[in-house]
Amino acid sequence: MTLFKKSSLAAMTLAISAIGTGVAHAECGDVTIAEMNWASAQAAARVDAFILKHGYGCNAETVPGDTMPTATSMSEKASPDIAPELWMNAVTEPIERAVAQKRLEIAGNVLEDPAKNAGEGWWVPRYMVEKNPALSTIAGIKKNVGLFKDPEDPSKGRVVGCPSGWACQITTQNLFKAYDMESAGFNLVDPGSGAALAGAIFKAYNRGEGVLAYYWAPTALLSKLDMVRVDLGNFDAKEFTDCTAIANCPNPKPNSFPVPEIKTVVATDFAKRSPAAMAYLKARVWSAKDFGSVLEFMEKEQANGQVAAEWFLQNRPDAWSKWVPADVAAKVKAAL
Amino acid sequence: MLWSSDFPQIADTTLRQLSRTIDRGYLTFSREYGASIEAFFDPLLHFLIWFERILLGAPWWSVVLVTAAIGYLAARSWKLFAGIVIALCLIGVFGMWENTMRTMAMILVCTLLSILIGIPIGIFMARSNRGQKSILPVLDVMQTMPSFVYLIPVVMLLGIGRVPGLIAVVIYAIAPVIRLTNLGIRLVEKEALEAADAFGASRLQKLLKVQLPLALPNIMAGINQTIMMALAMVVIASMIGVRGLGQPVLQAVTNQYFALGLFNGTAVVILAIIFDRVTQGFGLRLQKHREGAPQ
Repeated sequence: MTLFKKSSLAAMTLAISAIGTGVAHAECGDVTIAEMNWASAQAAARVDAFILKHGYGCNAETVPGDTMPTATSMSEKASPDIAPELWMNAVTEPIERAVAQKRLEIAGNVLEDPAKNAGEGWWVPRYMVEKNPALSTIAGIKKNVGLFKDPEDPSKGRVVGCPSGWACQITTQNLFKAYDMESAGFNLVDPGSGAALAGAIFKAYNRGEGVLAYYWAPTALLSKLDMVRVDLGNFDAKEFTDCTAIANCPNPKPNSFPVPEIKTVVATDFAKRSPAAMAYLKARVWSAKDFGSVLEFMEKEQANGQVAAEWFLQNRPDAWSKWVPADVAAKVKAAL
Repeated sequence: MLWSSDFPQIADTTLRQLSRTIDRGYLTFSREYGASIEAFFDPLLHFLIWFERILLGAPWWSVVLVTAAIGYLAARSWKLFAGIVIALCLIGVFGMWENTMRTMAMILVCTLLSILIGIPIGIFMARSNRGQKSILPVLDVMQTMPSFVYLIPVVMLLGIGRVPGLIAVVIYAIAPVIRLTNLGIRLVEKEALEAADAFGASRLQKLLKVQLPLALPNIMAGINQTIMMALAMVVIASMIGVRGLGQPVLQAVTNQYFALGLFNGTAVVILAIIFDRVTQGFGLRLQKHREGAPQ
């Protein structure tokens, strides 16, 4: 008897929820959100997916992505619909072309004050800089090759570069050449994958060894390890687009990494279909503190993007309720 | 209520606690013993670098000729000799010489190491049923565990580069030589062993003069498979900083450079075919001798 009641009740709830979602989908429909393969983008994608799903009734789904393939797919096929954290520097050209052709729209910044809080660079552990303050500049590093010993070639120093195929591989190679690191006795080592790059930095840090490596913020790794960005001098935008970012540029000059443009990019189709959701994406600008807290949480709790997103939505309502109208905030809260 | 739909699992917090404890334990372990484990692998690293330097430092034509000569000696076939010369020259013309040499050095050392470790383990397995029972599941794990699961801990311990790459390749590729050595020895006919006993052969004589020669076809097949599997790991190894043909493949895959991927992939295939023909030819010749001997 009770069993029958329960199951019929369950069937009814199911039917109701099906109707409910059916209605909601009519407004927003199916949305695919690119979930890049690094922690901050995963959390950002999951937060967007949760809010769009429960607050705006979208049938939001995350799909795995990576800068190059996702940008290509978005500019060519307008799919996935949303890239919540797209690092534009490497893919400016195709994205801008797609924006000009009204296939994509740029919703806005992901992170406030990107110059301070984000960006690529060459990093050394703080414990090294504390012992020898000269190590915070490239000139000081070149004079101290011996502190960055390459285990496979002990007479030389090692710069752990950017993995094969990533856009930063080109810039890192050119900067390595521009600063004449080779004649200073350094090898540029390709770690082969993001995991290996992080592993190599972590291994050295964990044992207090010397390491000089390419990395970028905001990341869980750099929120956990106390690293200093090496001062590469002033940034020259023209030199960067003309040479530093061009593969096999014959004569690269000393330069720095650009302040990253980390944008939320949206397919125009979707932006038109759901202006409310688009307004949310425009308003959704993370503060460095909130972003850092999510990354730290992920690192500390070994949480994936989904768990981190739910933790953030539960524990920082003050931060995210600014991004949405009150009724949407109420719906999201109810779903938590 | 919904007792049947959710599996009763450990509480999230407990699970996280558990993984954090394991991680912290591993980190402490690598901090304590990392340096000495690295030192243990140092000779291997030096050997790898030394071998790679030889292949890269020698004039290209000498490498081509020596490889082709080894091919000829192994299989006694001029066709193979010509094939190797043409294939290696093509690789060079397409600008993949250095990477191919690096990969060749890596694969040869990996294969050598796999044989040195694998055949004794295979012999041990063939002699002891209990040994076989306990080693088989380990081999299953080694062949199926996704490589990055153990690669990242290895990177934490040894850093990036050749040695962790070598460990990854050997873990994956050693299984066939162990399995087929074991199988080959177990398939040796009882009559042959009885005959050896009747002649008063010692255990060592039986092993070296009866069991291993009779198991040779299987062992050669195992070595051949080991080489093939090692080559298949080239791309994975490049993901932890091993230089060679894997790196351009990786670059091609992430950037959709179709042609670059195809060229370097083909170079891997060419290496595979060369290794395959040489070992197969060598194995066949060994068996011919055996058939001819009893007269």
